[in-house]
Amino acid sequence: MPNKSGRAYGLTTLCPLIGDQQDDQSYAAIIKGRLRNLPVDADSPWAKIPNLYMCRMFVLDDVFYQGKPAHEDHLKSKYLVFVAELHGELEPFLEAMWRVAEDSIRDIWEFCVAFKGVCSTGDFVRYIKQCQVETTFYFNGSNDESLAEQLKALYLKQELGKFVRDQQAHGKDPVQLQRAFSDFVARVEPFNLAGPTWRPGASDLAQAVIPSAGASPVSNRS
Amino acid sequence: MSNIAGKAYAMNLITPIHGLRVFANKLIFWAVGTPVAKLSLRGLKTLSMIHYARWVILRSKDFPHLASNQPKEDLKYGYMLFFSNFNGSWEQYVDSFSAAIPSGLNLLWWKNIGWPNAVPEQPFHRYVESNQIWTDYYYSSYPMAASNDVKSAELVKQKLCTFIGNTTGVSPNEFSQRYNLLLKDLQCDLGLLDATPIVSLAAEEISARRRAALAKPAPAAGRAPEPATSAVISAAQPHNQNMPNGQATAAAASTATRARKASARGKD
Amino acid sequence: MSNKTALDLHDVQGNIVKPYGRYGFPKARYVFFGVRDGIAGRQFVSKLAPLVTTAAPWRPSNVGPKISPIPEVTTNVAFTYHGLRDLGVPRASLQTFPDEFAMGMRARRDILGDEGPSAPDHWDPIWRHDEHVHIMVAICGRDEACLERRYQQVLELAQASNSGVELLTGHRGPNGADDLPYQAANAIYEAGQPTAKEHFGYTDGIGDPFFKGTGAHDATLVGGGKPTGLPPETAAGWAPLETGEFLLGYRDEAHECPEAPAPKLLSFNGTFMAYRKLHENVGSFDSYLEHVGREFPEGKEALAAKFAGRWRNGAPLSRFPTEGEANEFAERWARAKNAINQAKSHIERVAAKQHFAELNQQFVAFDYQNDLSGGRCPVGAHIRRANPRSGLQYDQLLAFEAPGALSNRRRMIRRGLPYGDSQTERNDAGDHGIIFMAINASLRRQFEFVQQQWMNYGNDFRLGNERDALIGNHPVGPLGKERASVVIQRDQNDTKPPFFCNQLPRFVETRGGDYFFIPSLTALRMIGEGSIDPT
Repeated sequence: MPNKSGRAYGLTTLCPLIGDQQDDQSYAAIIKGRLRNLPVDADSPWAKIPNLYMCRMFVLDDVFYQGKPAHEDHLKSKYLVFVAELHGELEPFLEAMWRVAEDSIRDIWEFCVAFKGVCSTGDFVRYIKQCQVETTFYFNGSNDESLAEQLKALYLKQELGKFVRDQQAHGKDPVQLQRAFSDFVARVEPFNLAGPTWRPGASDLAQAVIPSAGASPVSNRS
Repeated sequence: MSNIAGKAYAMNLITPIHGLRVFANKLIFWAVGTPVAKLSLRGLKTLSMIHYARWVILRSKDFPHLASNQPKEDLKYGYMLFFSNFNGSWEQYVDSFSAAIPSGLNLLWWKNIGWPNAVPEQPFHRYVESNQIWTDYYYSSYPMAASNDVKSAELVKQKLCTFIGNTTGVSPNEFSQRYNLLLKDLQCDLGLLDATPIVSLAAEEISARRRAALAKPAPAAGRAPEPATSAVISAAQPHNQNMPNGQATAAAASTATRARKASARGKD
Repeated sequence: MSNKTALDLHDVQGNIVKPYGRYGFPKARYVFFGVRDGIAGRQFVSKLAPLVTTAAPWRPSNVGPKISPIPEVTTNVAFTYHGLRDLGVPRASLQTFPDEFAMGMRARRDILGDEGPSAPDHWDPIWRHDEHVHIMVAICGRDEACLERRYQQVLELAQASNSGVELLTGHRGPNGADDLPYQAANAIYEAGQPTAKEHFGYTDGIGDPFFKGTGAHDATLVGGGKPTGLPPETAAGWAPLETGEFLLGYRDEAHECPEAPAPKLLSFNGTFMAYRKLHENVGSFDSYLEHVGREFPEGKEALAAKFAGRWRNGAPLSRFPTEGEANEFAERWARAKNAINQAKSHIERVAAKQHFAELNQQFVAFDYQNDLSGGRCPVGAHIRRANPRSGLQYDQLLAFEAPGALSNRRRMIRRGLPYGDSQTERNDAGDHGIIFMAINASLRRQFEFVQQQWMNYGNDFRLGNERDALIGNHPVGPLGKERASVVIQRDQNDTKPPFFCNQLPRFVETRGGDYFFIPSLTALRMIGEGSIDPT
């Protein structure tokens, strides 16, 4: 299935924008402004969506003229392009997206054609699928683990890195090492994806660690 | 600037393909995706700077049409959309492809209108620049992780979990020996992570302004935000401060053009 | 272009092609001027032009008449963007110069990582003002006396301008001086002889890129060129780099003649340079080596070698993984050098030179293909970061168009000398450092890229955010405690675990500098004449 690479899914949507305007600004321009002002990183409304690796949004105004001998070509509508890299199946993803970020979705999709009729999770899923175009080729340069797995792994990589560096300073006593490691395992809970991990969208170390998936960050002085 | 989310950069390209060739281009991608052709992706995987990337080939009828009063698209060309999430600067990315896997690129962009060939570099840079669309909003769930870091982290997790399983109940000496072996096994995967280096001065300037604005209370509610272009111009201004007034406008305009182009690449 | 002397070496400035230190110029003064009046500035440049040292060879030719003898002093000239502007280079031409050059090095500090102790606030006063430095005159001499003579000669030319050209002061020096009229630099002496060492004790200046057209000796191709994939111990393992990576107006490694400043006469045979004053915290370095060297199983000298990728005597870890092997090599090398002087006949001398050249090659004739995990030369060692050779293809041979596809366009010519007296008290406040100059066709693609992506970051080496141990801008955490760390990998067969160098202090701090354009002799004369016309 070309939209997928393993369990990673590439969602490509082009949501047509109504070609009208409000208060002397085109709908397209208004949406661009709203996109620019959406909070970023860990404060992003999309940070709460489970299994979203990355996403981008932009307004496609028109195609580009390549210059003679190419022909001039034009789109008849502008499109809100929403491209997401996610893990797992599409429908559960979209359902969760509506559940956690309905207000932001309404704000961004407000001026898309036929979006006024979207009132429920089911409506939203159907709407996005109507706007979906098929990915011709999806290249996965990373892996296809769940987001929780990726974030936990990053957290563990960093914590283990700090642990081994600390331990080297403490010397060679095997008893002490084994005990310290046991404490380390108890603290970082490597097998528990719901335990301490990295916060989705965290852009600096001081705010990266959360005590459990979905919680607020602890102050992390590292 | 919104092409950047920490260590990741979002590039969007849209390029025309002659309508009659769309089928052939789709066939190329199909072939590249088959197990036999996995070898041709080796170069791409070794570059290791991509999180996820995709190609989407569209014809007029593929553009979503949701209401009868929405005009139907009637394009002369088919279009290839390319979306990449990669690490490093725009220039490093484009240059890496041009230097390392130019024939792969030529295959994937085969017969796109105006495609200049991935080598030499300057026409290729211009082609990418002129067909690139700015991302208005970009989100990464791990801005402090490059693709290498995500892959490395999974390896660390797996080996750590296996190690824990294998060392339950062993003697301290045995544990110590196995611990050293674990470290050796992970010796190329224990680099510590942190925020991204600043690859784009303009992007950094805008982020700094944003942070400052968030820290202060807003002066007047309801003011429209600065349009992106003036933010870019002021970001580029520092080296024009001492110019005589008459030249300042022309200089600012040309610097702004350069800065706009540079910002599009996240270069300056 | 083959490697015959196809360049007009009389038109290229000598500091680009010749490492003066190796020709017996152990002392230097870097003198900077501001242009206050365009006419005076141009006259100054015109009078400097006849003093400028070109790249024309000094050694006697085997086939023809003897070419110019080695002078007692060399002189080279370079300009900042604002220098070119104030000398009257037209706006239409100025705008074709690259952005980063126009901005200057100080404005690029975020890209370069010049923050904290390396921030411009801490730079020598001369470097702290906007648009202040315009012209650089670099003088290298056999001794103080030669240096002083040329310096006075240049000063007189400036003084003849009636304040139209101003000598800029504001260099820091020993004993708290901070308003010196030039930056002095000098080789470090041992037993009365100049060495190639810098203040941390490393042998510097090994390895120069080998590029087409200079007529340089074929032997320097090995290790200096780009890797071909064939055995690196042999000449077949290397090919010359394209001239355009180092000089403007020529084909580069991207199979084109890249855009260069207009008009072509202005940029042809010219190039760009980053001049950086790098302070060395010798106290912290010595102390770190001492303390951590005791913990490091192979000892302090090996630890120093792991930082750099070379033993302090210059022997590369890749070929000489143990201290014993490195010392043995150093002895053989010294004996071979001696044998040349002691040769009693022409035949003996030729043989001795041949043997010496073969040993010399071993400093550079290596690659990292059989050391991908970094057990010999750590993946993040300094020389490996500066020039990964074919290492960035990892174990996927033939995955790329060329083995060095990701490194061939990141090479730089390095010039410069240490500054400060190695005999004075070795502490961080002392006046110790190097004047580092990187010469390349593109500051952004070569120098800045290596500095930002390969020295102050580790992603291309799959090392996360790890920085170069020696020159990285290591951060401090809260409470001012160092938190940087580098990993020293082990060989596959080694049972010892990798070693972590924790709490690395910042050993090197930036204390000033800027970006310069080094014009050809033709362009230099045209700048002096005021005859640059891009239309």
